[in-house]
Amino acid sequence: MVEDRLLIWKFKLGSRDALQRIYEKYKNDLLKLAVALTNDVNTAEDMVQDVFVAFAQSAAKIQMRGNLKKYLVTCVANRIRNRKRDQQRHETSSINDSDYIVSDLQRPEQWAILSEELELLSNAMAQIPYEQREVVTLYMQGRMTFKQIAKIRNASVNTIQGRYRYGLNKLRSILNSEIKK
Amino acid sequence: MKSADNIKKFFNKAAIDTNPSMDKAVMNKILMAHEKTKSAAIKPKIRRTIMKRPITKLAVAAAAIAVVVLGLVEFIGTGSTSGVVWAEVAKKVQASRGVIFRSRDVAPDSRDGGPDYTMNYSSNTQLRLDSYKGDQIIKTIYDDFNTKTVILVDHGHKSYVKMTFEQMEQYDLWRDPKSFVQRFLSHEHRELVQKTVEGVLCEGIETTDPAFFGTGHPVDSLMARVWVSVETGYPVQFEYEVVRYSGQIRIADVVDQFQWDVELDESIFEPDIPADYIDISPGE
Repeated sequence: MVEDRLLIWKFKLGSRDALQRIYEKYKNDLLKLAVALTNDVNTAEDMVQDVFVAFAQSAAKIQMRGNLKKYLVTCVANRIRNRKRDQQRHETSSINDSDYIVSDLQRPEQWAILSEELELLSNAMAQIPYEQREVVTLYMQGRMTFKQIAKIRNASVNTIQGRYRYGLNKLRSILNSEIKK
Repeated sequence: MKSADNIKKFFNKAAIDTNPSMDKAVMNKILMAHEKTKSAAIKPKIRRTIMKRPITKLAVAAAAIAVVVLGLVEFIGTGSTSGVVWAEVAKKVQASRGVIFRSRDVAPDSRDGGPDYTMNYSSNTQLRLDSYKGDQIIKTIYDDFNTKTVILVDHGHKSYVKMTFEQMEQYDLWRDPKSFVQRFLSHEHRELVQKTVEGVLCEGIETTDPAFFGTGHPVDSLMARVWVSVETGYPVQFEYEVVRYSGQIRIADVVDQFQWDVELDESIFEPDIPADYIDISPGE
C-alpha cells in the first residue's frame, strides 16, 4: 500500500519509472482477470492495454487515497462490461455468454502466455452467466469484497453474494467434470 | 473440487506470463500516451523562495559530503595505489560541515516531465532536495537521518507525504549519504585514469557491482563513478547509470556543482509546508 502511494505520487509528478513499475507490478494480475472475464486472450490483451493507456493519461485525475490494484481491476471490469454491452447492441443475433471463445488463431506476437490451468479456468468461466462470472472473478482474482463489488455494480450485497454462490456452484461442477475427463 | 477454497487455489494456480518483446511494445505505447499528457500534469505554483535565502545557498553541501566522504574512506582500505591522495580526500570530505550540490537526470530518453535538476543541501544528519522545472520549484524532500523520517512535498498538487525510512522501502535509500557511501565503499571498484572534469584535473574510481544500490533494487547493469580534484582533493563529480527491466528503464544521473565545507543553517531543513497543502501520508 505504501509503495503504491509512493508510486502514484511519483507518477503524478510525471515519473516514467513509477508508471513502468505500476505496469510491471499489475499487468499479469489484470491480464489474468481479463482472460477469466472474456475467455478471449486477444480481447483481454486489448482491454488491459486500453486501461493502462487511459491510466497513463490520467495522472492529474488519479486520487492517492484509494487502493491502486482495486482501482485498476475495476477499470478492467468496467471496460470489458462496456465492450460487451456495445457488442450486444450492434449484433443482430443475440449473443450468448458462452459465445466468447478462446481463439485458436493466435496473433503472431501474443502478449499473454496462459498456463493450462488458466485455459481450463477460462473455458469453465465462459460457461457461466456473465453477471456471476464477473462477481466470482472480482472476488477471487480481484480480491474485492462483496461490498466493494456491490458498490461498483450498483447492486445490493445480497444480490452480489447470490451471484457468487450460483456462479461458484456452476464453476465447481464444470471444473469437476473437466478434471474427470 | 468441493470447497470455495479449492476454487480459490485453482485461481491462484492458474498462472499467466507475458511475452517480453510484446511487453516492451505495450510499455512503449503506454509511455507514449503518458508523454503526451505529462506536460499538463505539472503546474508549479510556488516560486523558488528557498533559493532567495542566503542560508539556502549554503545548505546544499551536506548531503553530497556524507555520500562521497564515506565512499572515499572506503577507498583508502581497498588497495588504492594512490592511497595518499584518497586519504587526504577522505579527511577533507569528512571534515566538511555541509555540502551543496546539483543532481540531474541525463538519460537520453527520460525527459519525462520530471525535474530538470535538483539542488541538494546536506548536513551529516539532514538532507533537503529542491527539484526544479525551469526556474520553478516542483517538489521538496526533507530527510532527517536522526529520526529516520522523510517529508515529500508536491508543490504542483499542493500535497505532502510524511513517512519513515522503513515506509519508503527501497526507494532512494542512497539519499542517505552515510548509507550510500558505506555501500559504495563496500563494493568492488577500480581506479580510473586521470581526466579533466569541468575544467578540473581529476582522479576517479568506478564500480560496476549490480548490488551497489542494494538487493532490493535489482538491476541489469550498473556503473557508478566518483571524480576528485587532484588539486583540491574534493569530489567534483559523481555519476551513475543503471539499466533495469531488460533494458526498458535506463537511469543516468550526474551530480556536480559541489560546494564543500559550507555552513548550513538549521532552518534550511525545517519543513516549509503551506497551510493549504493536503496531507496524504499513509494512515491519514
